[in-house]
Amino acid sequence: MEVEKLLEEALKQKEVTRRTFLKMMAGLGLAGLAGSVGGCLRQHEVAAGGEGWLPYQYDVAGTWPAHVRGRVPIDPSNPSIMRDDRKCILCGQCLEICHRVQSVYGYYELPIRDDIVCINCGQCSLACPTGAIQERDDTEKVLKALKDPNKFVVVQTAPSIRVALGEEFGMPPGTWVTGKMVAALRRLGFHAVLDTNFAADLTIMEEATELIKRIKGELPGRPLPQFTSCSPGWVKFCEYFYPDLLPHVSSCKSPQQMFGATVKTYYAEKRGIDPRKIVSVSIMPCTAKKFEAQRPEMISARKYWEKKKGPDFAKDVTRDVDIVLTTRELAKLIKQAKIDFPRLPDEDFDPLMGKCTGGAIIFGASGGVMEAAIRTAYFFITGKEPPPQLLDLKPIRGLASVKEAAVDIPGAGTIRVAVCQGMAASRQVLDIVRAGKAPWHFVEFMACPGGCESGGGQPRSSVPQANEVRAKRTASLYAADARWVWRESHENPDILKVYQDFYGHPMSELAEELLHTHYTSRADKLKAIQPSEKEKPWEQYYPARLTPEI
Amino acid sequence: MAYEFPEGWRFRMTGWRKFFILVFLVAVGVMIYRLVYGLGAATHLNDQWPWGWWIAVDVLIGVALAGGGYSTAFLVHILHRKQFAPVARAALLTSMLGYILVLIGLFMDIGRWYNFWRPFLVYPGSWHSVLFEVFWCISLYTMVQVLEFGSIVFERVKSDWLKRVFDAMLPPLFILGVVLPTLHQSSLGSLYVVTVDRLDPLWWSIALPIFFLLSSFFVGPAMVTLEGSLAAKAYGRQMEIPVLSRLVKVGAWVMFIYLVLKLIDLGYRNQFGHLFDGSLESNLFLLEIVGGVIVPMIMFAIPSVRNSAGGLITASVLTVGGVILNRMNVVFTGMAAAMGGHYFPKWTEFMVTAGLIALAVLAYCFLVENFAILPAEEHVPAGKPSEAHTSYTVVG
Amino acid sequence: MKGVLVDITRCVGCGSCVVACKLYNNLPWSNAPHLGKDAVLTADNWTVVKEFDVSKGKESVWRFVKEQCFHCLEPACASACFAAAFRKTPEGPVIYNERVCVGCRYCMIACPFSIPKYEWQARFPRVQKCQMCFYRVKDGEMPACVSVCPAGALKFGDRDALLKEAKERIAQNPGRYVNHVYGEKEYGGTCWLYLSDVPFEQLGFRTHVSTESIPHVSERVTKWTLPVAGGWAAVLTALYLATKGSGGAEKSH
Ligand code: SF4
Ligand code: SF4
Ligand code: SF4
Ligand code: SF4
Repeated sequence: MEVEKLLEEALKQKEVTRRTFLKMMAGLGLAGLAGSVGGCLRQHEVAAGGEGWLPYQYDVAGTWPAHVRGRVPIDPSNPSIMRDDRKCILCGQCLEICHRVQSVYGYYELPIRDDIVCINCGQCSLACPTGAIQERDDTEKVLKALKDPNKFVVVQTAPSIRVALGEEFGMPPGTWVTGKMVAALRRLGFHAVLDTNFAADLTIMEEATELIKRIKGELPGRPLPQFTSCSPGWVKFCEYFYPDLLPHVSSCKSPQQMFGATVKTYYAEKRGIDPRKIVSVSIMPCTAKKFEAQRPEMISARKYWEKKKGPDFAKDVTRDVDIVLTTRELAKLIKQAKIDFPRLPDEDFDPLMGKCTGGAIIFGASGGVMEAAIRTAYFFITGKEPPPQLLDLKPIRGLASVKEAAVDIPGAGTIRVAVCQGMAASRQVLDIVRAGKAPWHFVEFMACPGGCESGGGQPRSSVPQANEVRAKRTASLYAADARWVWRESHENPDILKVYQDFYGHPMSELAEELLHTHYTSRADKLKAIQPSEKEKPWEQYYPARLTPEI
Repeated sequence: MAYEFPEGWRFRMTGWRKFFILVFLVAVGVMIYRLVYGLGAATHLNDQWPWGWWIAVDVLIGVALAGGGYSTAFLVHILHRKQFAPVARAALLTSMLGYILVLIGLFMDIGRWYNFWRPFLVYPGSWHSVLFEVFWCISLYTMVQVLEFGSIVFERVKSDWLKRVFDAMLPPLFILGVVLPTLHQSSLGSLYVVTVDRLDPLWWSIALPIFFLLSSFFVGPAMVTLEGSLAAKAYGRQMEIPVLSRLVKVGAWVMFIYLVLKLIDLGYRNQFGHLFDGSLESNLFLLEIVGGVIVPMIMFAIPSVRNSAGGLITASVLTVGGVILNRMNVVFTGMAAAMGGHYFPKWTEFMVTAGLIALAVLAYCFLVENFAILPAEEHVPAGKPSEAHTSYTVVG
Repeated sequence: MKGVLVDITRCVGCGSCVVACKLYNNLPWSNAPHLGKDAVLTADNWTVVKEFDVSKGKESVWRFVKEQCFHCLEPACASACFAAAFRKTPEGPVIYNERVCVGCRYCMIACPFSIPKYEWQARFPRVQKCQMCFYRVKDGEMPACVSVCPAGALKFGDRDALLKEAKERIAQNPGRYVNHVYGEKEYGGTCWLYLSDVPFEQLGFRTHVSTESIPHVSERVTKWTLPVAGGWAAVLTALYLATKGSGGAEKSH
């Protein structure tokens, strides 16, 4: 505008004399004054708003990226995940995962009711490239408990921690770090370092028994197929979207909760520890476990002590699982404590609830729960050890979103099973069950694609989790299973002992009380939208494999 | 008329004056702090309460109380009611000082003070703003008052030529000096017309400008009375009771008109129910109307009361208090429910106001001690004041 | 005239719009909450998504309201500003020019929705509010916040068309909405329109308000300024001249 014109004119003059220079400066001064009075000194403003009046400060696109999309809603009181809005770049990865892979976002009608629908799986936290979404940080609570001289802090570690924790310290995915992990936990000050795998074996004992009872028709109101119940994200998904199928879900608690209930009863009694002093911490690959631990019904130990010693005593017995940390949070604790993780010696779990079998180890991979259950069910039905092909049940291993197998068990006929990972893909199986056309006896569901080993609390990468990483962690789990002394849950000496000394037998009255649970329909929280038949948005990520390969 | 001025400039130092100087100096410090570090640092103003103490007190109340200047000027210079002349100069002086303080207060309150001159330019659309009118009027009126006062100044600063120039300007200035305050006293009310639906309906009315105007008019005599009594006390003189008594009688009439209009307005807008519903708003409104208008109006109407110094001062205090409460109610009480949030002024906000008042007192003292402002003593005692010869004197 | 239709029944409270506004306008993150029950507009929060837990019939439901400047058809802020720092653009957005702003904050008093906020901590504070992404809208693009809403709660378009669509949505989904388009008439109408399924007063909206625009209301008063000034001056002159002889003290010097 004005100023530029003057400058141009001046520059056009071949020779800038003193006179023309002064003229130009005076002109510039006047134009400048006029410009600043009019609030306008920038060229493009004329075109934009006209009349020489325009705010220039809004013509800044800021750090606005070229491609932006929305993101998932997260309730600020969500017990599992939270978001630092300052880091969000609206890339939409969380939405992608939540909608396409988990079929949660976008699968309920608007307006919403009084809940921000979330199955707490934390897959969005793995997908988020900036780390804006992360687990709700509970490390402070643990540090506080560890400092309290009146507390006895026990810790359990889930199967898939040990194949992923090393990644946080520069080791390749799948590195087996059980011994170092136990050593690190001791150095952090935990009073007893125990293994969730023990509880996984316990789960198999209960779940296989339940399955057989269902097949035999001994459990009225509990139809086939039986659904697994150890993935809390899946359980909540079922409560939201398939509440009518809840009777199919095994009444067994997840290993985490079985462990919690047992540690504050059996373990406390055995070791003569006041259950009121026990703080039960769990290290999980999963953000939904934080939610699970807070479910109102997960206070079985308190009820146990109420019966035994009265409400006054029991009121100070806290939840079965008090604090849940993710793998990432554990890594953070270890780093904060300046423990040189890779150089730690290998140490062993503490006794009583520290031993496990290969069947428990493979809980960490999709298909693992099913495989372990089949091994033990085979033994329960036939009284014999399963044949070798049942110890390497290939069809239900791997990263396909839906896998099937049929197993012949003498005395029970052909047992048909399915394994699903990722909730969107699972809908195919669920819809078949809902239609009453299910050929299966037992179906495993894992909320997270890959199963626990790539749960929402596992170490993350700056790009969405690659199947390569998943495969390595899985392979490491199966390798451990293959070399383990005991392969089937019923072989675990600690398990035999806990039944002998405490529970009696699977699904005994005490076991029902401490190891089994019930579910709540969440149908009133949403009005579900059924996806169209053709639409399979997860396919591009995890193609299904619905043809049985046996 | 001959004036006798003492030799040289005088300013008597007393303990009080030292105190006022101290207050003023602290306030100057605060003002510099405010200008350098901004409003957030120097005040408790916030997004819910963008306007607070300074606007309420330094501007709205300041302008209203300075209304004594134009109401007296109207009577004396326009209507030529010379019986009121003895108080005219003092009224002009306090009014002028008041307006200067208002301008300083306003300057303190604007966030981008280096832009204070912008509204003098006319931008497309800016003249629709009520504030535009207020700003222009107040600035012009302050200038008019300074010019009017120039005529007094050049009695002493011997320049007959200049004095003549100023005197020649006086008639149009007198007219401007009434038109402008009429406009902006009412426009200050118009400022709050935009708060329809938010300002409590006891105060919000499309007639707000008329109420602001009338109340600024009737608070004039009360303010002149109070200034007169203070000056009388300070300089050991007699109060101009006969003059003041007539002045407040005029005030009482205006109060009556004000009251009637208020009641009609409330009735028209169906607010009588709200008036007696016991809410904080209604109680403060009643206090303002009964204590600040009805009671003093009746007191002014009774000759025995308004002819006694005590009665006159009491009723004036009530009137002034009523107008102060009214402006406070508009800015704070009436807006509280709609604005939410919380505001209580920071000490710095009080300090600036205190400093400005101290400055005014000091300037007043200096000016009446060096210029002919207060009426000459011999005219004062009882009976009818001379209508033909009002002369002024320098006190001290 | 462009506008945005906000369908509160579709908002899931994700806050994408808030982040978009921050990113696009380069606004700093402050401690004032921008999501949830305590969300507040501030100089840095041009838009917030506020949560309301309300009852709808027998149900208790959560509703989220995206708040920002309404971009009035006849904006109070612009009519109040004595430096004309606010302006209504023909495209719809009401925008602000910090250069001419004096900082009197009368716009904050005048805005019937209490939208403009102030940079209190700055030495020379600016008034801040949503600019409806003026430069995008001018170029025919939708505002940043609208462009990221994953739930389809925000729709950008010609105000007239949006108003029509809003009414159609009400008509076509009987029982889904309360029969009111907020912003159609409020204070003379606004560019941002809202649809809701719970009464607006439960969602923090000022309801039953004047349908006359604020500039209109104050014009009922300001239109008298010049006539009164002229008339009053004439009256005063007449009075002055008429009463001049009566006293006589004036000319004594
Ligand atoms: S993935 Fe992370 S950065 Fe991307 S939109 Fe979601 S929260 Fe924001
Ligand atoms: S909502 Fe307020 S700030 Fe926005 S245009 Fe209207 S008056 Fe102006
Ligand atoms: S229109 Fe632009 S400035 Fe306004 S709230 Fe949306 S993103 Fe922010
Ligand atoms: S982006 Fe859309 S759904 Fe998300 S909070 Fe904003 S308006 Fe609501």
